Amino acid sequence: MSDSPQGAPRTILVSGGTGTLGRELVARFARSDAAVVVLSRRSSTRMRTVMGDVRSGPTLGMAPAECAALRECVTDVVHCAADTTFNRPLDDARATNVEGTRAVLAFANECPRLERIACFSTVYVAGRTSGCFGEDDLGGADGFVNSYEQSKAEMEEVVRQAMTELPVAMYRLSTIIGDSRSGAVTGLNAIHHALRLLYQGLAPMVPGPETALVDLIPVDFAADAAYHLFERAFSPGATYHLCAGASHSPTLGRLLDATMSAFERYRPAWRKRSIARPALVDLDTYELFVRSVEEAGNEVLLQATRAVQSFAYQLAYPKAFVARRADEALALASIQAPPVLDYYENVVRWCIETNWGAGA
Amino acid sequence: MTNVGIDAVTYYLPASAPTLEELERRGALRGSAATLASFGFQHARVAESESHVDMAMHAVRALLDETGTSPDEIDLVLYAGALTSSSTMECAPAPAGSVLHMRDLMDFFKYPVSRLQSELDLENASVAGVDQQGCAAIFSSVRLARATLLAEDDVRTVLCVSADRLPHGAAREVVYNLVSDGACALLVRRNTMRNRIVAAHQVTKGAFWDSGSLENEIIAAYFPTARAVIEETLRKAGVTLAEIDWVIPHNVSLRSWEILLGLIRCPREKLFSENIGRVGHTIAADNFINLRDATDAGLLRKGDLLLLFTFGYGLNWSCMVLEH
Repeated sequence: MSDSPQGAPRTILVSGGTGTLGRELVARFARSDAAVVVLSRRSSTRMRTVMGDVRSGPTLGMAPAECAALRECVTDVVHCAADTTFNRPLDDARATNVEGTRAVLAFANECPRLERIACFSTVYVAGRTSGCFGEDDLGGADGFVNSYEQSKAEMEEVVRQAMTELPVAMYRLSTIIGDSRSGAVTGLNAIHHALRLLYQGLAPMVPGPETALVDLIPVDFAADAAYHLFERAFSPGATYHLCAGASHSPTLGRLLDATMSAFERYRPAWRKRSIARPALVDLDTYELFVRSVEEAGNEVLLQATRAVQSFAYQLAYPKAFVARRADEALALASIQAPPVLDYYENVVRWCIETNWGAGA
Repeated sequence: MTNVGIDAVTYYLPASAPTLEELERRGALRGSAATLASFGFQHARVAESESHVDMAMHAVRALLDETGTSPDEIDLVLYAGALTSSSTMECAPAPAGSVLHMRDLMDFFKYPVSRLQSELDLENASVAGVDQQGCAAIFSSVRLARATLLAEDDVRTVLCVSADRLPHGAAREVVYNLVSDGACALLVRRNTMRNRIVAAHQVTKGAFWDSGSLENEIIAAYFPTARAVIEETLRKAGVTLAEIDWVIPHNVSLRSWEILLGLIRCPREKLFSENIGRVGHTIAADNFINLRDATDAGLLRKGDLLLLFTFGYGLNWSCMVLEH
């Protein structure tokens, strides 16, 4: 489906089109006949870009003429832009994730040819909830681990309200760690920073039980799945989980073992450093360690613990993400998240060989 | 099966016990007194006039006197030193801050353990030094004592000694721990009913030999490796942590012990922690000073299982289970 019902070509506006998922989606949309316009704070020579910023209200920071022209032709809005920094001050996170989304929806509401909107969220809106978390669950009842989760949960409220008037579908992503085939990472996130700390021997402990499931997805799956659900199986008002799920997620213990063995395999000299596998501890013990590091004023360990802290607290609230609706829709296209341990080593290898992207 | 145990323990601590505030005023702390106080420290013990050899002598004399042991009963002396300077004689006057100050080549052949043997008339004892393991050296000397007692019939009584004293004017804080001077002496014997050595285990990670440049990595390595070493020692002893009655610690910060107890899921009540604030970290003698004081305080009952754990630069993690 590349033309609108009137026969005019589709125009897809993608916010966050230069980000990890956004650029993969843009590449897929570009293979269709649709015109793809990327809203970005930076210009790009590789794609048609309009300069703008979702934090700038309903004009999205575009020049008035450009904004007006775009309103007339946009048929699809794919809203990927987000502040994914876990430990940003809450107001800053809200500015992008909540108010930015409100602005995108307001813009979309002014587009006469609008057919559909995709909004991307995170499965971690579940927050401190433990146990199974489904696509129709709202999460957050027990609070959140970081400002990212909270701002995304608040964003979802905005999206759900908009669903009553606009054709919006929501896609909750698990943590994207890289390309399953090459291991390449286009945007380092907390997982990669934690991997680096493990590699450097600066992560003595991680809060969480051995058996906690760690749900990760490769970017190629995330893009294939989102593209299919949006282009081939769009269902306004629906929320989908794009995640590995319980059956394809390793336990925290197995993931740590896989990490240590990948370090040894791809950097044999690393073994000589005698770096111990981090201890898995309860939250109280971890917080006592963090407090001690803070009191001691040790800057290096302080940064290390904060980097782990921003995401690892999730591990202390074990949960399994259920993706019944997404699985059903994706099964028809034989799209399925691969087992994490089938490709995880590729990502670790890429991190080691490129020095976490510095030499990529 | 022949049992080997620690039959008696004595120790020597210098009288001088400056507070954290006094040490801070002297410039002997790297960080603040308040931080060390929040980590459980109160006083350091500082040898103002005693050398490490003097402290060893004091501890051994007390041991022989208290137990009524004749000097000629000692078959082997294992002299443990954590600091490299502890394995040499002190050659005063040394430049300020100097640790190994030798006036001539022959000074390198003067050994504390030989002097100890001579001064205390340990005529039948052969001697050996146990060092290069930081604060774990005394644990190694106990292991070696046990092995020798089991292997050689004519060795019946082994004297293990540990004595360390920081150089005059040295900082008293090492990796957020308050360091004291002190010495301990142990009698290790066959078929004793006291402090039977049930199991011992040590892990060495030489990759961290350059300790000064790897402080953060060492802090990070400390906890997971400590847990692994404790678990392996318990496995060797054939007991669970729940069966351990007391944890007899090395006197690193109370805070780090609370974290380690969290890691191994051990109740705080099992930790004998009274000496951490009062004595500080006497480098290698801590666990045995604590064993003696816990015994004297009447806390330990016959048959209690004790877990002793220590950590030394090098790096070395060492653990022992004793049956009191």
